[in-house]
Amino acid sequence: MAKRERRVGYGWPVLLAIGVHIAALMLTIIKWPESEPDPTSSSVVQATLVRAETATDQPQQTEDSTPPPSQPEEEEDAPEPEESVPSESSDEPEADSDAEVTDSAVEEAKAEARRLQEEAQRAAQQRAEAERQRQEEAEAERQRQEEAEAERQRQQEAEAERQRQQEAEAERQRQEEAEAERQRQEEAEAERQRQEEAEAERQRQEEAEAERQRQEELAERAAQANESSLDSMISDEEQSIANAEQASEAANGFKNLVRRYVEQSWNVPSNASSELRAIVRIQLLPTGELVSATITQSSGDSAFDHSVIKAVEKAAPFREMRELDASVKGQFREFNLDFNPEDIR
Amino acid sequence: MNDSMSIPHLIMNASLIVQLVMLLLLAASIASWIIIFQRSIALRRAEKAYRDFEDRFWSGVDLNELYRDLPAEQESLGAEHVFRSGFREFNRLMPKTQSTDAVLEGVQRGQRVALSREEDRLQLNLTFLATVASASPYIGLFGTVWGIMGSFQSLSMAQQATLSTVAPWIAEALVATAMGLFAAIPAVIFYNRLSAHAGRLLGKYENFAEEFHAILHRNLQGRSEREAS
Repeated sequence: MAKRERRVGYGWPVLLAIGVHIAALMLTIIKWPESEPDPTSSSVVQATLVRAETATDQPQQTEDSTPPPSQPEEEEDAPEPEESVPSESSDEPEADSDAEVTDSAVEEAKAEARRLQEEAQRAAQQRAEAERQRQEEAEAERQRQEEAEAERQRQQEAEAERQRQQEAEAERQRQEEAEAERQRQEEAEAERQRQEEAEAERQRQEEAEAERQRQEELAERAAQANESSLDSMISDEEQSIANAEQASEAANGFKNLVRRYVEQSWNVPSNASSELRAIVRIQLLPTGELVSATITQSSGDSAFDHSVIKAVEKAAPFREMRELDASVKGQFREFNLDFNPEDIR
Repeated sequence: MNDSMSIPHLIMNASLIVQLVMLLLLAASIASWIIIFQRSIALRRAEKAYRDFEDRFWSGVDLNELYRDLPAEQESLGAEHVFRSGFREFNRLMPKTQSTDAVLEGVQRGQRVALSREEDRLQLNLTFLATVASASPYIGLFGTVWGIMGSFQSLSMAQQATLSTVAPWIAEALVATAMGLFAAIPAVIFYNRLSAHAGRLLGKYENFAEEFHAILHRNLQGRSEREAS
């Protein structure tokens, strides 16, 4: 019975309890090695661009396309088989090969654009770094000057100076507040205007829809005439490459989005084998509403084709289209989706 | 898990009431852990002390000697306390009365009082653990509901409700429930464990009291027979 201090104090328990909580907090703060998210490349539906220009632009481009073809020898081979085969449906193979050529060009352009962008980013970062250092130096310099100033003035009229500074400070704050208030109001105003514009825009679009369809038909005919001439076709492609390069960024994002939406709403038929493959042409309004979805290359299994169409209809409308630029928007008026259930099983 | 969804960031960005709820839960959690540690240590020591005392009691030592060795009334704990109060009653009543029944009754009463004090002491603060265990999930739930209410209110301002505008709010609100559970689960487990431990110890004390009573009874019986003869 040597130990008499059997009443247990609270000192150690308090320390232990706080230790437990700090340990728990650490566990939440520590970044565990994350498991790699599934690469998005294992996507079931491949989206490819059919036509990179807006339909209404095409007549204009035929007039504009004066630049001579840069690589006529290479391009001459390509269109010949198309024209030598008088296909049962007039424009489908042309459109497909067109899409393929455009696609590879787009890939190149995208790589180029990505490289350029990375260089620009790096340069911008360096510039920002230098800028920040300069600012910091200027900041230090200004602080030193302010200190000297304050010192001198304190000798002279420290009290009055401080008061004046405070007043100036208050004044500036008031101004800043007023500024912020005004900005808020402006933003609210702009927001309201944007909403009104969007409303008007939607109405106008609905009115213009019939008009546009007629124009699209016209443009379709013009495009066919266009493609018959080799030069204009090549220049067309160059134009489209330029367009694609410009908009590849936004286009990529939207394309992935559409692909994901469609994948999510696709119920693959249970008997579908991985060899089945269907290509769907999708036409969209600028608001993202679906105009039509048609099978351009059937898989041979009508149930499968039906499920594909169903998936696209279910996934529509693609509201994100509204947020795209007008130039990018034009690209997605019409594009192909490639369905293949290979990756789902 | 990007930086804006880390748990400290979520806690910092929560609304005031949710933060208050979290603070309350944190305090409850810390307090319950303090009690868990304090009670665990205290019960372990009490058990050890009981074993020591039992060994000593059954080692054949003279009870008067044992009584004199033990510390003063206020400091003795556990079985010692039971023994002391019983033996003191015994010593005080013996000269005053010839009736063995009266003596034994007095001893029993003294032991009962000591036992009830020991029970009180062993289960000190365990009710707080029980309160934390049952109440903190509800408190956390309140924080979550409040947070989600706020999120929906601000959601009504937004034009487009996508998952990415709702998700941070809800994650933020759910942190409160997580904290409630974090406080409640250890409290439940340790409340059960500690109260079982205390109950076991109390049972041992009671057994000891009965045994001690039996010894005194035997002693008195022997004496009265001697006097009668």
